[in-house]
Amino acid sequence: MRRLAATYNGSAAQHRALHEPKYRRWLDRLVYLPELADADLDDLDGLLVTERLHRAKFDAAAGRVLGVLERGATVIFLLGGPPPEWLPGARWEARFRSEQGNWMPTWFLHPGDGLGLRAADPEHPFLRRVPVENATWHHHGVLWPPEGAQPVIVTRDGASVIYLDRVSTPGTLLVATLDPIYHFGSYFMPACERFLDGFLPWVVEELLEDAGDGLSRAAR
Amino acid sequence: MDMREIVFLHTGTSDRLGHLDHDAVRACVEPLDMYELPDTDLSAYRAMIVTGGVDQELLWRERDAIRRFLDAGRVLLFSGHLVRPWLPGIGLFVPREIRSHRDYAVRIAAPHPIFAHVREEDLTMRQGLAGFFARGHNPPPDGVEVLLELPGGEPIVYIDRVSTGGTMLVHSGGDLLGWGIERIYEGGPPITSAVHIPGQMLDWVLAEAGRLETARA
Repeated sequence: MRRLAATYNGSAAQHRALHEPKYRRWLDRLVYLPELADADLDDLDGLLVTERLHRAKFDAAAGRVLGVLERGATVIFLLGGPPPEWLPGARWEARFRSEQGNWMPTWFLHPGDGLGLRAADPEHPFLRRVPVENATWHHHGVLWPPEGAQPVIVTRDGASVIYLDRVSTPGTLLVATLDPIYHFGSYFMPACERFLDGFLPWVVEELLEDAGDGLSRAAR
Repeated sequence: MDMREIVFLHTGTSDRLGHLDHDAVRACVEPLDMYELPDTDLSAYRAMIVTGGVDQELLWRERDAIRRFLDAGRVLLFSGHLVRPWLPGIGLFVPREIRSHRDYAVRIAAPHPIFAHVREEDLTMRQGLAGFFARGHNPPPDGVEVLLELPGGEPIVYIDRVSTGGTMLVHSGGDLLGWGIERIYEGGPPITSAVHIPGQMLDWVLAEAGRLETARA
């Protein structure tokens, strides 16, 4: 199995989500955030960056995280808010409203309302594991990815909620504005559990597998 | 010694904690980056506010300092799910089994100044949604004063004066300091009777700290 580690910030939500057996089984190990800047990540195929990290501690580890990408491996950002300034390529735009103008997290209380998310490419293998409805709870904002990146789930105006970037670095960058770890770990928002149930197996069995072929050709 | 009022452990994320800007909060609450806790002299503070988003591995490593702070007759407010046993005497979070939104209904178990003028429905519901307030409980020891509970009688807010030499106010949900006054985004949530909670809670925390100080004098 490809080797994926996740950052762990010690919060109640991450403690629950990352120790949940059905998710923990996809993770080779947890990297405690205050130790990330000095952690050895060289054996990893992928690093999952979890949401709502202490900013200064995470910024201090920027070199480690970018180093994973520089050697051709994969970094997955689950954001739930603005990305760090050193995330290559993307431009962030905060959004608070549903399609009908309601506070985004309450869209489902209003008949006919929604978030307007759709697949950028309906054939993308991601969607077989995570259909768009399982990525629909609230997305905090959108990202305008760099030229040449591949949007996966987008809003009506074409901004990305999830995209893949294989152009900005030698590695693979998957970025989502969603915060499923936080909400599953907080016992709130059932869609997050459906998202994670499909997302983690997809990352390990498909995304890292595909990227890993390139990795073994290029760097190993 | 220069006595400060209340220290609030800040998680240092990019989330905007709008309630820390409120005048009533700013007057007596001092944010402290959580990772500065090991290098901070807690004896300068009368009370401490901690949320479940704080690194609880750090709190576990600092548990002796927290215990000493409480045994010195101070007040600690915790809002969140306890996932590491750093809070003396308090059990780890137990989620409630949720079958319908009614399982989230908050009941006032005993009147208390912190929740004066606050309607139960404004605790249960926020922006038309139930479940923001509490989704389980941190099991208390015997002898605590229960203020709020869930439909199964699970104590979700209680005051513990038995476990330490100080006082702990324990809540199993979101930060009570921001409850009802958090306006982190344009247009919401609406003001309800819950707006009274943070001010009344700060008044109570300072009064309780004063009571403990008097008792030890």
